[in-house]
Amino acid sequence: MTSGTAVGPVQILGAAFFSTRHACARDVLAGRERPFTAPTYGLLVGRARRFTSLVTQLHMEVCGSLSRDAANPPAIVFATCHGEIQTAERLIADFRDSQMVSSARFALSVHNTPSGMYSVATGSTAPATTVTGTNAIAAGWLEASLTALEGERAVLLSIADEPVPAVFRGPAEPAGVAAAFLVGAAPAAPAAPGAPPCTGRRVELAVTPIGPCASGALVSPLQVLAQAADAWVRPEPASVALGRIQPGAMLELRFAAEEARA
Amino acid sequence: MAGHAITAVALANCLGTDRRTVLDRAFAGEDGFAPASAFFAFPFATMLGIVPRPAAQAAQAAQDPPDPHDLMDRIPTRLAAVSLPSVRQLRPAVRAAALRWGARRVAYVFASSTGGLEQTERSLAPDPRLPLSGHGYRYTDHGIDATSAAIAQSLGIEGVCMAISTACSSSFNALASALRLIDRGLADAAVVGSADSLCRTTVFGFHSLGLTAPTATQPFARDRCGVTLAEGSAYVLIERDAAATRRDALAWVTGMGAASDAFHHTTPHPEGIGGQLCMRQAIDRAGIAPGDVDCISAHGTGTRLNDAAEALAVRRVFERAVPMTATKSLTGHTLGSAGLTALVLAVESLRRQAIPATLRAAPLDDELGVAIVDRLTPAPLRHVLVNAFGFGGTNVSVVVSQAARQS
Repeated sequence: MTSGTAVGPVQILGAAFFSTRHACARDVLAGRERPFTAPTYGLLVGRARRFTSLVTQLHMEVCGSLSRDAANPPAIVFATCHGEIQTAERLIADFRDSQMVSSARFALSVHNTPSGMYSVATGSTAPATTVTGTNAIAAGWLEASLTALEGERAVLLSIADEPVPAVFRGPAEPAGVAAAFLVGAAPAAPAAPGAPPCTGRRVELAVTPIGPCASGALVSPLQVLAQAADAWVRPEPASVALGRIQPGAMLELRFAAEEARA
Repeated sequence: MAGHAITAVALANCLGTDRRTVLDRAFAGEDGFAPASAFFAFPFATMLGIVPRPAAQAAQAAQDPPDPHDLMDRIPTRLAAVSLPSVRQLRPAVRAAALRWGARRVAYVFASSTGGLEQTERSLAPDPRLPLSGHGYRYTDHGIDATSAAIAQSLGIEGVCMAISTACSSSFNALASALRLIDRGLADAAVVGSADSLCRTTVFGFHSLGLTAPTATQPFARDRCGVTLAEGSAYVLIERDAAATRRDALAWVTGMGAASDAFHHTTPHPEGIGGQLCMRQAIDRAGIAPGDVDCISAHGTGTRLNDAAEALAVRRVFERAVPMTATKSLTGHTLGSAGLTALVLAVESLRRQAIPATLRAAPLDDELGVAIVDRLTPAPLRHVLVNAFGFGGTNVSVVVSQAARQS
């Protein structure tokens, strides 16, 4: 892609945010913390709740609060920078210490554990993918938007990460965080006569250049997801830097003004 | 779906580290398995497919010109070592694509199930048999995309760079992402790469689920009893339909489908619901009918439940018995790389007009009711359907079609 490329328009039809250390997205941006609060992840019931990691619980928490169209369930795009990182640590400790691992824990160790749990919990046979890596937030938004633009169905984009255990010597994430967005294709603006109106918040993705020294790849999931969730609830136009999408360029999520909603 | 040209392929696995050797051995009906003790002293018996090195790589490296972006200098991990032979194989074609379209119009979508987990194991569960290599442990070596930036730079790619991880369907979901980038005009070409290196978590984990075979895997056989885990890498270069790509196309991706089982995290739906949905979708998008599919390259892991579910799904989709092969009997189960590994073999099947054997399939499980090819079988092939299923109930199918169809 070249700088200035725009992807969209798409529309956000619903959004949810959760942090284990913050009551809402605005509190993240204002620096107001709360005691650790675990997700309730009501989407999972019974045995499905056993062995679930924090990152899976976080995904379920935000996805469970969005309304679902059972007749035409959304395509599933989950994103995570670190994946099931706490489960990975436990599995390694298991075989190091006892020459065996828990089958239940191993079964839930893959990066697409949350999307699989979601599809089972909701009975959705819709396609599901999981985007990961240092630029998972930007790439997840790109994947979700491109899928939505295919026009077949809406897309449930869920992005979550749990704190990386200290033994990994990775980034020090202060909280478990998740945000989910229901993304759909948006009609062109202004809408052609007779065309369906835009029922959500119109957004587009834009590729913008970053300097060679900019840390565009290493975004903080907590900050970026809070900014995106906060922009969703506020009426004015906003732009959120999602992270690097290719060498020398990053992806921005640009919110149109609230008036774009029908 | 319009067709997308496959203009270059690369792979490395237990059969070898250069494309010709891997393909010749596969079509000769050889596997590359060794006892797991060759990798680590596991307290149980199983076979593994281990990428041969370092002798083969060193010999190959000696033939290559010096590379300022040498992957092993920058990321001296097993994931990089498994990826490197494929990257070297693909480099000339990618550089040609970058000249054709511009480096910023070439994307890189990487897929893996475990990424750099093996390097992390060496740090957190140290063992003298598996010493930390190179610079020691860095968290940046752990992720699925641990090698992505270095490989993209090595290949001269400046377009979109992203990583996908959906267990054993990872590489096919990465392929789907690459096709979207091309279809929406964000790229003209895309390198879709996949690699998984063997690691102790994987072997202990599959064993804990009762899924590892004590001997070499026997997909669709009456006595099948599990997978042979393996490592490997597989890469393809995908380009949009244009005059130049029609000339260079080895084959075409003409249809893809994806669906979820919505049943259980590790156990397949007993009727292969997700598999049925994605196979039908892939065939429909290819603009063909089930009767036009000449061969199925099955996911075929060799576990009792997986093979039974896939066989039933195939029976529900196809009215006739389509010749079916399970190439994991040759390469082992390369996890996140499994789909693309089978796809590269399918491209070679189209070129050779022959279906590779499913090793050790006899005696067949007659209850499955599918037509397993247990020896190299010449056949007129126009369309091959390739399946990749995985944990999480993820299912993806791809139709690859003969190059002549589009030229």
